[in-house]
Amino acid sequence: MGFLGPNELTENVIQKNLCIGCGACMNLCPYFRSYRCKTAMLFPCTVSEGRCASFCPKIEVDLDYLSKQYFGNLFGASSLGHNISIMISQKGKKIKNHTFQAGGTVSALISFALKKKYISSAILTDREGLLPIPRIITKDEDVFKCASTKYAAAPTLSALNTAIGKGHSQIGVVGTPCQTTAIAQMRTTQSTNKDPVGMVIGLFCTWALDYTQLEPFISQQIETNKILKFDILPPPAEIMEIYTTDGKKHEISLDKIRKFIPATCSYCADMTSEFSDISVGVLEGYPDKNTLIIRSEKGKMLVDEAEKEGYIIVDEIPEKSLEHLKTAARQKRKRALLKAKEDGLLNATEDGKFSCIKLNSLSIEKITA
Amino acid sequence: MSFLMDNTEKARYLLLGNEAIARGALEAGVNVASGYPGTPSSEIIESLSKIAKDANIYVEWSTNEKVAMEVAAAASFAGLRSMCVMKQNGVNVGSDFLLHLAGSGTRGGMVIVPCEDPGALSSVNEGESRYFAKLFEIPLLEPGDFQEVKDMTKWAFELSEKINNFVMLRSVTRFSHASGNVTYGDIIKRDINAQFKYDGFILDPMEGLPISAPVEYKHSEQQKKLKQAAEIFEKSPFNTYTGVKKPELLVITSSACNLYCKEAIQLLGAEDKVGLLKLGTTWPLPQGLLKTHLSETKKVLIVEEVLPFMEENIKVVALEMAGEIGNKIFYGKNDNTLPKVGELNPDIVTQALSKILNLKYEQRSDEYIKKAQNIVLTKAPHRELTFCPGCPHRSSYWSIHNALKLDGRKGFVCGDIGCYSLAFLPCGFSTLKTLHSMGSGTGLASGFGKLKQFGFAQSVLAVCGDSTFFHTAMPALVNAVHHKSDFTLIILDNSGTAMTGFQPHPGLKSNAMGEEVPSIDIAKICVAMGAKVRVQDPFDLENTQKQLLDLMEYKEGVKVMILRQICALSPEKKAKKKYEMSIDENKCIGENCGCNRLCTRIFRCPGLEWDAKANVARIDDVICRGCGVCADICPGKAINKKEAA
Repeated sequence: MGFLGPNELTENVIQKNLCIGCGACMNLCPYFRSYRCKTAMLFPCTVSEGRCASFCPKIEVDLDYLSKQYFGNLFGASSLGHNISIMISQKGKKIKNHTFQAGGTVSALISFALKKKYISSAILTDREGLLPIPRIITKDEDVFKCASTKYAAAPTLSALNTAIGKGHSQIGVVGTPCQTTAIAQMRTTQSTNKDPVGMVIGLFCTWALDYTQLEPFISQQIETNKILKFDILPPPAEIMEIYTTDGKKHEISLDKIRKFIPATCSYCADMTSEFSDISVGVLEGYPDKNTLIIRSEKGKMLVDEAEKEGYIIVDEIPEKSLEHLKTAARQKRKRALLKAKEDGLLNATEDGKFSCIKLNSLSIEKITA
Repeated sequence: MSFLMDNTEKARYLLLGNEAIARGALEAGVNVASGYPGTPSSEIIESLSKIAKDANIYVEWSTNEKVAMEVAAAASFAGLRSMCVMKQNGVNVGSDFLLHLAGSGTRGGMVIVPCEDPGALSSVNEGESRYFAKLFEIPLLEPGDFQEVKDMTKWAFELSEKINNFVMLRSVTRFSHASGNVTYGDIIKRDINAQFKYDGFILDPMEGLPISAPVEYKHSEQQKKLKQAAEIFEKSPFNTYTGVKKPELLVITSSACNLYCKEAIQLLGAEDKVGLLKLGTTWPLPQGLLKTHLSETKKVLIVEEVLPFMEENIKVVALEMAGEIGNKIFYGKNDNTLPKVGELNPDIVTQALSKILNLKYEQRSDEYIKKAQNIVLTKAPHRELTFCPGCPHRSSYWSIHNALKLDGRKGFVCGDIGCYSLAFLPCGFSTLKTLHSMGSGTGLASGFGKLKQFGFAQSVLAVCGDSTFFHTAMPALVNAVHHKSDFTLIILDNSGTAMTGFQPHPGLKSNAMGEEVPSIDIAKICVAMGAKVRVQDPFDLENTQKQLLDLMEYKEGVKVMILRQICALSPEKKAKKKYEMSIDENKCIGENCGCNRLCTRIFRCPGLEWDAKANVARIDDVICRGCGVCADICPGKAINKKEAA
């Protein structure tokens, strides 16, 4: 890491359609910008080593290096990554009712962290119609505007870069696996000792959707400014539900939107945002509850405090649900590594070729077995 | 009083060729002069507009060349003398009218003056209007020195009245934009009451109907008159011969090449071998005169710029006379003795002569040339074609470029004619991908915007200036709106015909003569046409880009964005800085990650310079116009702007 520049990034990520548009390279310089969730390089840049390429979660991501930096050991083969505990959760009494994706755990934790000043600002993703909008939130009551899943891949980290540029510290970030990987790379390549990121809450993610394709498809059938919430029903339903402000529920077959999944998602080996303090996702079969993975002491402290003060309620995870989750995560990991290997994007050794993922061979063997 | 109005007997002035044309017209008692700005022609109308009141003439910068010709023709129909001025391709714009005018004939003397640009020194073509004279069957005059530029202009009016048709007088850059001594003649006083007579005998050229029908009859009358012109040309003092009676080589030339030929003959000391026949009347050719001179030689070299117009016509005449004068050996463009592109110069002509005559010509040694080139390359500062400091076009194209990149559909700009044509170069961030004639950017965009059914998925933008909008972009825009084409037209409104020197246009409140006139609102026209219109200051980069992206999102129909900011060199703005700019060296990111010299590597306003030793950008206070835009592009917020006192 740290030896790549904008030329390598453009050639090997943007031009090869590996860019997910996470926003990690944006607002660091005048060259990379996001528009309608697509990354554009405005002008050529000639620096040989750039933050853009070292932050990017799609080029030369050394999982072992990141794992060592965060958790003190090589990246293993466990399906859910390093963790202290796994439980289920939902918002507590202190949080008013709102349209949440599931249990409202993420909104509850972030608003709690802001209120208690564990973090001074939060990088969240709002939505206008179908378009995800990265936001820097500083008031706990504004957190809820950004509640619920967006599904379209979003340049959330552009707001993180903006916040850092403005001198924010103790920043809380909520992101998808690609975004949390990028944050991990940012934090391990920071030139200064001061880490501006105070808390990372990762989201579970199987795949995202390409906004530029999703938008015209959905807006043909639904007025996008009336959308309240999206939901994907647990398998084998194969249905995306869209709730609108007029009280209607629209059903869209997953078949029709799967083609909007960016190719780059197939190289993603992380379902549960492993480089985070806390990871949160749905709990299959329980629409108003979340699965919660605590990965760091800092994350544990936040969950404990939030529970103590009535912001969230936690419980043990049912054995069956945990097995489901592990299977899903394992399968995603295996698929991604096999695909990356097949396409020469895993531990590339040839001159001028770059990996998407770098990982020790023992773990690769175990995962792909 | 203007030097152009000096009526002292035999007054002598060093005149710009274009001033000599203006003086010639004044001496002829011109009443109406019209034109459309275009280099190298613009100073003719400008000179006349300054003295319009004193000289009691009507001078107009017309909306385009065709209208200018019509305005001049109306004066002729009313018995007045008129002149219409344009650059070479301006004749193309009005050619449809000229074809019919040649057929209908004119009354008061009317002269069309194309100022041409061989070598395209300030054009995107080196087009020829001489062929039009042949096509329209009207006389073509080409002055061969500065005195002739003035004298032939004056004479052209008389000729026009003799043959009842307009006359074309062709100038070139090396006359129009160079200066020479001119001795004045008298300014003719013509006391005429303008009246358009139409109730005489229908076919009467002076009192009937100036209409090209009945076509065959009028056409044959026109041809008779042209023959009459050819007879006059036989004795014209503007066709001159210098040299021995029986030269080894006869050089036939015209226009600025006359000067090159004289110099070449002198340089080679070939006065005893070469005869120089300089023709001032190049269409129709004076055949008798040609016969006289062709009879005395075996070898003929024709020297002209750009295409072999005279060469081909002379060859036809020589072939017809071959029985009497014998076969000749011709040198010129067809046998590659001279190039068919670019300007000629004394050197090229000297080489041609030395080759034909087998004379030793001491060209400069290769070593000398190398040395000279080396000095030019290493000592002269590199200056690329770019927009002026503080030019609104740089800002406009910055936003256009960024909008196209963000839009991500491989979009492009259809260009048009003006300073903003330069955007195919890095100064306009290479956004401009087509560049043709006036108004054709909008026309091309209109076409691109209809290709969706064939899989075309790129974003289409067009640009045009405010003057170009009125000139010929308007019909293209009407076409586009009517046919529901999908593109965005960006009108770069810098409040004047900036490239040619701030001539007024219909969008402005005063005309060529400084009179107050109603201005025509471009935005209202576009709205009336049915386009979606936004008006924006291009110096506000953020909003310009936002608005432009917003317009580009509309899936159907024509969108118009008017970027309005006065030209940095305009008389209103000149020398006035809005902001004093400065650079905070501590904040300048320089070549590091986070900037990589955005201002001096990409934006490249000449007012910014890179201090490589100190690794910081600097403001060149002498060059900076204080527009303030660079402060908004600086990622380190190192460029400060302070309201100028």
